[in-house]
Amino acid sequence: MTPGKKRLSYSYYPGCSLHASGREYDISTRALFKALNVGLKEVPDWFCCGATPAHNVDELLSLSLCAKNLSLAEEVEGDLAVACAACFSRLKTTQHHLKGDETKRKQVEVAIDGPAALNKPVKHILEILAREYGLGKLEESVKKPLMGLKVAPYYGCLLTRPPEVPELDDCEDPSIMEDLLRALGAEPVKWSHRMECCGANFTLSRPGVVLKLSNAILESARIAGADCIMVACPLCHGNLDIRQKEIKEAYGAPDSTLFGNIFGSELHGGSAPDQRDLPIFYVTQLAALAMGVASESLGFESVITDPKPLLRDKQLL
Amino acid sequence: MKNKLMHLSNETMNIGFVKKVEALSGSSVRRCFQCGKCSAGCPMSTFMEHPPNRVVRLLQLGQGQRILAGRSIWYCASCETCTTRCPNKVDLAAIMDALRKLSWDADGPSKESYVQLANRLFIENIRTYGRQYELRLGAAFNMKSGQFLKDLMLGPKLISKGKLKMFHSKNKNIAEIEGIFKRIEEMRKKGEAL
Ligand code: SF4
Ligand code: SF4
Repeated sequence: MTPGKKRLSYSYYPGCSLHASGREYDISTRALFKALNVGLKEVPDWFCCGATPAHNVDELLSLSLCAKNLSLAEEVEGDLAVACAACFSRLKTTQHHLKGDETKRKQVEVAIDGPAALNKPVKHILEILAREYGLGKLEESVKKPLMGLKVAPYYGCLLTRPPEVPELDDCEDPSIMEDLLRALGAEPVKWSHRMECCGANFTLSRPGVVLKLSNAILESARIAGADCIMVACPLCHGNLDIRQKEIKEAYGAPDSTLFGNIFGSELHGGSAPDQRDLPIFYVTQLAALAMGVASESLGFESVITDPKPLLRDKQLL
Repeated sequence: MKNKLMHLSNETMNIGFVKKVEALSGSSVRRCFQCGKCSAGCPMSTFMEHPPNRVVRLLQLGQGQRILAGRSIWYCASCETCTTRCPNKVDLAAIMDALRKLSWDADGPSKESYVQLANRLFIENIRTYGRQYELRLGAAFNMKSGQFLKDLMLGPKLISKGKLKMFHSKNKNIAEIEGIFKRIEEMRKKGEAL
């Protein structure tokens, strides 16, 4: 904290995933903010934002759920920090739509039985770290640089799209994750699939779709030489981490047919397909690790694709 | 529908339906000049019989029923790539939302009802608990979809990793959520909202 400057402090909307399947994102976010001496206070009694399913079937319901959350957030001081890319997208979309659409705003106000509070800035953890705390200060705070760690930064869909809603970074060529990784001492790799969709919403209803899309993402990261992938969304994490074994079973086994051999070897440079495990890290886990936070408080035990061998290998544990 | 001639007539053109889609999505379909950029970037277009640009074209021709008879809208992942890239500001992701809502309202479960089922259970969870209860969501989906064995092996592993909660507590202010659902239902009944 620079003298004379107010300590950064945020209200916090974790969202449902961060209290369940993405609990390590929540744990590491809290640990990181503590290490950086940035305040974080959870909005009491927040509701599910509805994520993709709500607007898929009922736009008005989706807007109303988010508007209700935004008014609950008013009770806590500080801009609203959001870690989940889906919650972030829904809350920002609601502000954007209701500011521009009088009729919808009125309907929402009837639904939530009160005025829609639309003015609290909603910020993703990435922009808080890179812009508000600041890359320079972040770099200065690094205690254990992530030297030699090659990371594929994965944006997915909702962090940057459509551009007028999240206003986070360029919607076709963002760099905020790469910049952050460099500040932490890691090496971001250049890869093709950093903004491709993982099929998050289909994880329950159409796992086959998820396997196909996620396989392409993992494959692209391996080809680029990444040791691991960094995400900023619990849904991306779920698909890429939890289903990695299934993906391998579906796509990894070498094809024993003649054509499989010919095309397979062509694709994989003559060797068997690369089936390395790729640990999937949350941005907050990597940042906290670099800040010297003990790995025990980062939730690594909750992850399916064990990151510890890689971290030991790079002498980061 | 592929390779079949499409007959356009007053009977097949349902302009009222298209107007509803435009009203719900807040997006014009007439702006589209069929450049195909939306479909080129759509991660799901290979799963669809009508890729995004054709969905808009069919809407321009008043052929909403052809879209609803297929599965395209249920394979859209809501990734917003189409909306982001359209040079004419056609908000295709919002149009997909509107089409799903109209299909849901008109037909209830369709042959693609797994997606509807998952979405509906998700929303039921909000109404009952205020937040998602992932274990119940997964279990209910498997029961209702008849996929009893699906993800059976994943469940215990996730529980042991602390990723799925075994128990769930309701939000203290759950009555407020019920109020939101009720008031929206009332508004719709009175025709005050779409
Ligand atoms: S990108 Fe826009 S203009 Fe081009 S085909 Fe798609 S909807 Fe039409
Ligand atoms: S929002 Fe739907 S239609 Fe548009 S690009 Fe994504 S998956 Fe395709």
